[in-house]
Amino acid sequence: MSDLNIGKAPPPKAVIPFYATGALFFVVLCLLLFLSAGDLTGHYFSPHLLAVVHTAVLGWGTMIIFGAGYQLMPVICERDIYSPLLAVISFYALTAGAVLLVISFWFFWVGWPMITGGALVVTAAVLYAVNVYHTSGQCNRQAAKFIVSSAAWLMFTVVVGLLLAINLRFPFIPMNHIDVLKLHAHAGLAGWFLQLITGVSARLVPMFLLGKSAKEPLMKYAFYCQNGGLVLFLADAYFNGISTRGLFYELIIAVGAVAWVLYLADVYKNRVRKKTDWQMKQTGLSFVCLLGAFVVLPLLYGSNDKRWAIVMGTLLFMGWMTGIILGKTFKTLPFIVWNNKFRQLNGKVKVPMPKHLYKEQLVQYQFWCFLIALLLLIAGISLACVVLIRIALVAWIITACLYVYNVGVILFYKIDTNGSSN
Amino acid sequence: MEVVTDTIYNKEKLQALELLYSVMDPELFVNIMDLGLIYDLIFTPQTIEVIMTLSTPHCPMGEAIVEGVKNVLAQQFTDHVVEVNLVWEPKWNFELISSEGRRQLGI
Repeated sequence: MSDLNIGKAPPPKAVIPFYATGALFFVVLCLLLFLSAGDLTGHYFSPHLLAVVHTAVLGWGTMIIFGAGYQLMPVICERDIYSPLLAVISFYALTAGAVLLVISFWFFWVGWPMITGGALVVTAAVLYAVNVYHTSGQCNRQAAKFIVSSAAWLMFTVVVGLLLAINLRFPFIPMNHIDVLKLHAHAGLAGWFLQLITGVSARLVPMFLLGKSAKEPLMKYAFYCQNGGLVLFLADAYFNGISTRGLFYELIIAVGAVAWVLYLADVYKNRVRKKTDWQMKQTGLSFVCLLGAFVVLPLLYGSNDKRWAIVMGTLLFMGWMTGIILGKTFKTLPFIVWNNKFRQLNGKVKVPMPKHLYKEQLVQYQFWCFLIALLLLIAGISLACVVLIRIALVAWIITACLYVYNVGVILFYKIDTNGSSN
Repeated sequence: MEVVTDTIYNKEKLQALELLYSVMDPELFVNIMDLGLIYDLIFTPQTIEVIMTLSTPHCPMGEAIVEGVKNVLAQQFTDHVVEVNLVWEPKWNFELISSEGRRQLGI
């Protein structure tokens, strides 16, 4: 019977708080960026930029990814989530840790607030990894392998981050602090974010597009190149120091990213569902930003100008990571909320469909606003023009408001049983 | 796949199949009949067994679709117990989508 064959969605408390909190962090991120506009033309190792980056990667990116991950892991691995309770605890640990870290960086309170924030984030990462490991089980899908490896890289990243926080107050690391910071950033970007997004999209994009690809080996190449390149980069940088050899290892990672994008392009080419919605367009644009970041990479090695590091960070955090979240939120959250509110009523009374739970028109405005904001911000940073940066950041704040409003519309959607909505 | 009907409960089956056109796949926004998810209906004097599939195992909307099938049939056939039997063989594929389903999907 049916109960034996289909999995149960995780309880809403294990998923929805991540989306709600992540949306608020996105608004905070855009406001902090606006307040730090002047810092965007300087060195990336500044208290305000460290606060901005950690708002982006922990409060925004990791927060949404944890929520989406707990919802999607059962779909990818075809098993129920191992422990919803651990998921809930990881939410509190991540939220508290991100808030403490962001405040500590902004005011540069090195010491216990920063160390405690880092320890809470490590706790959240360990809880997440335990859930991922047990949920994935013996699943042999390439997507599941990416998700497990990304969870391992997340643990590596946050442990190194905690050590760096301790090192700021009680110096003990023999290497240069900034060099270790680069290892921390590489592991986070190429290990955690890249591999997680690779794995999840390899399963979800074919599902959303009703597409298939016969080029499965591309995903294998992607796995080995992304992991191999990152391990080589970290090992060489740790033992021999960061050098131009790093560019070669990053090229290997780029080949892995290209293999994955080619796989998705083949799925897109062979899709049954021809109409491409705004969410998928936004996702497609995010891939362009990722490839753009790899194009900027040689400038980072060939020049001492620190603005290229900030351009690359902008392409990765605001273009790629934010782009994919802005698109995928409206491909996942309406279904999660719908499943929670209307599943039992389906077939009994007239209920709205998931796509009726949000304002589709706003997703379109959000797409254009995002594109304008991103292009202006990259132009402003490249030209070191603070006025342009400020205009771009106003566009970012508008984008964030559109996003958070639409997320609120989904979360607080109400209907009476006659079928009329709020 | 052709939905099999026999003569004894032909009228009830046709009525049930008609009702199943109102159960939508919430993601694809196409009803489950046109998606080709229903493989068979077996009527007995006490039960209705729905033999169906999903587009993918652990389909995120699987529970909702199964719930919809049970609800819509239970409302009409109050003297029958509705049972849903999910099967993965034959595996669902795009060929099972009806011409109307293809039109709605823009294929």
